Amino acid sequence: MADKYLELIGITTRFGDVEALKGVSLSVARGEVVCIIGPSGCGKSTLLRAANWLTSPNEGTVRLDCSVVGHAPQGRATAAQIRALNGHRARIGMVFQQFNVWPHLTALENVVRAQMVVLRRDRSEAEAKARQTLADVGLSDKMDAWPERLSGGQKQRLAIARTLAMDPVLMLMDEPTSALDPELVAEVLAVLRRLAEIQMTMLIVTHELGFAMRVADRIVFMEAGGIVEQGPPQELLSNPRTDRLKAFLDKLSLTKLPKDREHAEI
Amino acid sequence: MTLDLTIFVDYGPRILLGFWMTIKIVVLAIALGLPFGVVLALARRSRLRVLSWSALAFIEIFRNTPFIIQVFLIYYVLPFYGLRLPAEQVGVLALAAFGSAYFAEVIRGGIDAVPSGQLESARAIGMSDLQAMRHIVLPQSLAIILPPLTNQMLSLIKESAILSTITVQEMTMTALRVQGETFRPFEAFIMIALLYWLLNEVVAIAMRALERRWTTKPVKGEA
Amino acid sequence: MKFDISYTIDALPRLLEGALVTLQVTLVGFVLSLSLATALTVMREATNVRWAHRALAVYISFIRGTPLLVQIFLIYYVSPVIGLDIGPYTAGILAITLNSAAFVVEILRGGLASVPSGQFEAASALGLKGPALWGKVILPQTFIASVPPLVNEFTQVLKASALLSTITIVELMRVSQQIFSRNYHPVEVLLGTFILYFLMCFAVSRSAALIEAKLELRRG
Repeated sequence: MADKYLELIGITTRFGDVEALKGVSLSVARGEVVCIIGPSGCGKSTLLRAANWLTSPNEGTVRLDCSVVGHAPQGRATAAQIRALNGHRARIGMVFQQFNVWPHLTALENVVRAQMVVLRRDRSEAEAKARQTLADVGLSDKMDAWPERLSGGQKQRLAIARTLAMDPVLMLMDEPTSALDPELVAEVLAVLRRLAEIQMTMLIVTHELGFAMRVADRIVFMEAGGIVEQGPPQELLSNPRTDRLKAFLDKLSLTKLPKDREHAEI
Repeated sequence: MTLDLTIFVDYGPRILLGFWMTIKIVVLAIALGLPFGVVLALARRSRLRVLSWSALAFIEIFRNTPFIIQVFLIYYVLPFYGLRLPAEQVGVLALAAFGSAYFAEVIRGGIDAVPSGQLESARAIGMSDLQAMRHIVLPQSLAIILPPLTNQMLSLIKESAILSTITVQEMTMTALRVQGETFRPFEAFIMIALLYWLLNEVVAIAMRALERRWTTKPVKGEA
Repeated sequence: MKFDISYTIDALPRLLEGALVTLQVTLVGFVLSLSLATALTVMREATNVRWAHRALAVYISFIRGTPLLVQIFLIYYVSPVIGLDIGPYTAGILAITLNSAAFVVEILRGGLASVPSGQFEAASALGLKGPALWGKVILPQTFIASVPPLVNEFTQVLKASALLSTITIVELMRVSQQIFSRNYHPVEVLLGTFILYFLMCFAVSRSAALIEAKLELRRG
């Protein structure tokens, strides 16, 4: 089922009386890069967090490679279900807007710890892997550094290295560059671009439309808890079909955006 | 009133024995009370209502009643269930239970102060709640927890004096005996007051040193 | 020996009388403590007498570093020896007052720190000096800022009052001991006592929430 590697089916999520997601369905194919865009409050982060059941939906099902990650409504989770979920989460990498690196551990230890605790790798194997992923994101010289001494861009790259060390089959990114100073955005986007090049399956919530244009196979536009439009970036951004997408793009003054991929900034 | 210095010499050794007993009791009470305090704090935060309400009940009961009545109640209730423990052990249990309720609130405050993203990222990477607590959240809560935790430990040292009311041979009981034999209450109580004060200072200094060691990060030459 | 709740119920009337004494002792002790602590705070902040400041620091350190029970025994047992003919009630209240005041001084220091320094300037600009400055402007604000920890201190004094049973004061704890030493049912009697203490403390901390809410409205 490669074309439905990640399946989100009928996801409805409520926070109190507010319905943040209204029966949303989305599939991501193996090796596909999907970017979700939309105004704040549209539910894009909530949808992303349903994929690894971090924010559990009130209704709907999530499947990864045909096995169920979560199925709502759900009563009390059994120990077996919890173990299965943690197993899925280990294979799904998640990168947060606020980085969430662990400040009480060095950069190397950040990348090593989860491997040892979750995947039960021994220290030498975990450290070897850690050095490799840190090198992949360009942080070889920061292995013994404490996170508080790293810049925002370095912290985010550390977070990415930390998830890569788990050998994920899918990466979820929740506005990975939104909390970064503009000059630090490029280094993180470069790492993400390389991930796309090696066919990592990715679901990315982002505001960086230039990046999305360049890297995404598909762009999904959401508003008010539902998917309004989706399609290849080229089509979607130059010929938006719905008025709401047109209005959204206008608000971002996208008339200045280059009309084709080759001329995109990143 | 003149100070009778011979009292310090003649009865000093007995008082020091009492001091030793106080130290033993307090150390044991902390050794038992602290882990249980962690359990209570985690139970308080649990999504299982049975767990969080039981923990809440335990904590509120021990925080809203005088320690002396807790001691008496435990002392008289245990034989009811067939447990005839020596007074010292009852004392340790009571002090540990009392301490754990206060420790729990301090620990819970520390855990709550750790940004929620830390727990989230740990869960998102596949850690169980317990692993996340152990590896990611609790270590970070240490910096916040240690000062108030130290205060609670110091208060346990002082509360231990109350165990004299159930005939535990700790320092206060010893002083009462000494003053009963010598009719020199000032010398007897001043001796133990100074020893309590000394113990207080030693523990406070030790904890501050521990704080510094555990919460500052070494710089391994700028990377 | 089976647990028999009738012993708890039978003891209740006398226990309630004891609880009344507990409340009286607590109130008197707390009010005295607050007064003493206020005076000490003003002395510390408004004057520069070095030896007094030193003495205050030593006093606070002693109170906070030693058990209340030992402080109670010191006052109770030592006063006759040095010719102070005070009964157990005076000794007990004195001990509790001195103990609590040391903690209240620190509480007030915190409350004082939260009073904006502009208040001092504005008040003296209006011509307020010394006692008027403190009495009309600074202290009221200090107290209002200190309400939560002060209420907590009240419960601490309430719990501390139980220790006065060791020097023959007939408050709740002592009454309970008197009862069960006669009827040999300590568990039932202590349970009733325990519940009474819990209700008293719980009531105080709940009304604390109400007081705080009312103060929030007043501060605007």
